[in-house]
Amino acid sequence: MKETPHGVCIKRKKHVLPAVITLALSLSAGAASAQSAAQKAVDAAKKLCNGKTITVVWEAGLQSLDPKNFSGPMWEKLTSCKINVVEVPTAEMFTKIIQEYRAGTGAYDALNIIPAWLPDLAQAGAIEQLDTMVDKYGYRAELQKIAPTYRDNQMMVNGKIYAFPDDGDVFVMYYRKDLFADAGLQKEFKAKYKYDLAPPKTWKEFGEIGQFLTEKLKAKGVYGASQFREPGYGNFMFQERFRNEGGKFFDANMKAQINNAAGVKVFTDWKNENKFMPPGVEKFGFVENLAVFLKGESAMTISWPPYGRFAAGYIKDEAMKWVPESKVSGKVGYALPPGGHPELAAGFTLGVASTSKNKELAYLFIQWLNSEEISMKRVQLPFALRDPFRDSHFTSKEYMAKWPDAKDYLAALQAGSKTGLLDLSLIQTDKYEEALRQGISRLWAGEDPKKILDDVAKQWDDITAKVGLDKQKAVYNAWAAKSGAYPK
Amino acid sequence: MPHAQSGPQDRYFRHLLVAPSILVLLLVAVFPLIYLILVSFQGITMTDNDTRFIGFVNYLHLLEDRRMWEAVLHTLMFLLIALPLELILGLFMAQLFLDQLPGRQVFIALLVLPVVISPIVAGATWSLMFDDRFGPINQILGWIAGHDVHLLWTIKPELVYSAILVAEVWQWTPFMFLLLLAALANVDKSQQEAAAIDGAGYWQIFFKIVLPSIWPVMAIALMIRALDLFRLFDIVWALTKGGPGTMTETLSIFTYNQGFKQFETSYTAAVALVIIILLTAALLWTLRRVELSR
Repeated sequence: MKETPHGVCIKRKKHVLPAVITLALSLSAGAASAQSAAQKAVDAAKKLCNGKTITVVWEAGLQSLDPKNFSGPMWEKLTSCKINVVEVPTAEMFTKIIQEYRAGTGAYDALNIIPAWLPDLAQAGAIEQLDTMVDKYGYRAELQKIAPTYRDNQMMVNGKIYAFPDDGDVFVMYYRKDLFADAGLQKEFKAKYKYDLAPPKTWKEFGEIGQFLTEKLKAKGVYGASQFREPGYGNFMFQERFRNEGGKFFDANMKAQINNAAGVKVFTDWKNENKFMPPGVEKFGFVENLAVFLKGESAMTISWPPYGRFAAGYIKDEAMKWVPESKVSGKVGYALPPGGHPELAAGFTLGVASTSKNKELAYLFIQWLNSEEISMKRVQLPFALRDPFRDSHFTSKEYMAKWPDAKDYLAALQAGSKTGLLDLSLIQTDKYEEALRQGISRLWAGEDPKKILDDVAKQWDDITAKVGLDKQKAVYNAWAAKSGAYPK
Repeated sequence: MPHAQSGPQDRYFRHLLVAPSILVLLLVAVFPLIYLILVSFQGITMTDNDTRFIGFVNYLHLLEDRRMWEAVLHTLMFLLIALPLELILGLFMAQLFLDQLPGRQVFIALLVLPVVISPIVAGATWSLMFDDRFGPINQILGWIAGHDVHLLWTIKPELVYSAILVAEVWQWTPFMFLLLLAALANVDKSQQEAAAIDGAGYWQIFFKIVLPSIWPVMAIALMIRALDLFRLFDIVWALTKGGPGTMTETLSIFTYNQGFKQFETSYTAAVALVIIILLTAALLWTLRRVELSR
């Protein structure tokens, strides 16, 4: 040991130093726990940034206005980290993410991931496991405050965290309160069907009410209902309705059951219901259906949460000019779709690309985005299509003040999140969904429901065999054990 | 002036000059082809890390893949209907514009416009034209019928093929027209006049003089369009994405779906290789036929 003029003093300090360090650490730990997760992310990012740019993959269009116009500039101001947004159409997001991973370019840092893709991306190794960083940056407590359906079902693969649920997508039934409250219609309906005219609780009621309202209101340009029928959207509608009708996707031996009585009933009912919906409903996707509903041409519809906000007509934003002016503002009620178990259709989670060269920074950015404080602001952005997903979002006074019925709207979203059904999520989920989408388009081409579903079931069995029966069965069983897989 | 004898040094110099282009050719054409062949014998999917060689499994699967053969059938059907239509219409239009009509240049420029539009844009435009609610085609049919018409052009099997063919023929007939107009303009007028004086009729002159004269150009035009139609993708994708079901799925759409939606990398490589072989064979056969006819 080297002697110094201050040797003695140093020896004394050696005794004092551990105590000081311990005290300092405990003080800083105390301070850190008092800090919000957003602030922790900002503080850590400030030290790591050095002018670096984080590239995030985001759904093209309105969704990406969040990082482009709101969260990105805010993050840059707080941390000096720059955000580069790569906009990708939804249908190409999975492809782009997996292609980049295979190419290993490190072009993407943070990712928007549809929850159903998580097993595929985790198995391929394309996304980073986040547990270590969650603990390192003290985010576990705030993660627990995400609404249970999303937290418990859309975050982990094999018990490990791979993404943060970031979008409370759930189907809600929107109905015209004014029409349902019409005394004349109520009287006539009750006389004919022996129950009150009210938002339908079953699909049988939906059919009867839709048919009745079309008969009574078609002359005024109003149809009883309109729905998504375009195969891409119909896929979600089918998954919801099939399970509400008692269907299970696979039996105990992993044999596809989509062609059972429940599946055939859904397809047959769809064809019959189209007769009281607007002409061309077979092509209705998000925008077509929205236009019809906002113009007041449909008495009922089922869709994602933004419909409720658009219909309320409170949104005044340059980016929202494409939305037709709402003629039903103040006239829309919110309810759970028939069956009571809405689809938690699509949704988005935030993850980190395993090929990223800035994993820690990317992580900090998504922790900040997803945090209680920042997400509260993001789900209220008029243009970004991010929907409430934390308990606090559903009870936010600020949100409830947005329009007179906002409280009912948030209550419907929360109720939906509690009973909602997860999208089917397996290895190579999209292959199963693609077979179903093709089946739906064949239905609109006029083919027999049973024959179509038999073909789809055969395709599903072939896909399962190719993936590996036991391997896929294990993934399915893990999915089926989740709280939102089937109605309880 | 006699050619100077080229020595070994000259030869090396010449080889040196062409070496870069050969290297580029090897890199951009031969290497990918070899890699494609290799991949086609593996079991690669983008969502898995398995890269084992699996022999001829992909090729055997290809033979029994009903969806692929249906895609071949759809492709051939589009080819066999669209190609003659484009040829006949193009030839008819070229004959029409052969004479110096007033405003001829303006009309030709307008007629050629569809060719300069990107096929995906043309497809998207026709998709709007065929829209059942707001499309002008249903509206016009509605005026004629005297009531609302809601034909689902891109959904109903009885309508979907005609919708695709209309869009395809609309876009590419002008291409035939342009080439055939140029070819017809170069046919020797004196031969036709002499034949007419000798009493030959219109069709005799056309088949005995005009057609043989324009045949080389026509054959090339047919070959280019046939290759394009064999690779038909954009217009069908924009209109139907291969639906309803897989009813209008062409070979290109099938390949795209397998490669970039189903992530069957090795299987797609096998399909692509078979397409390359088929197209190369067809191309060589056609070129030989054209050569023989000259």
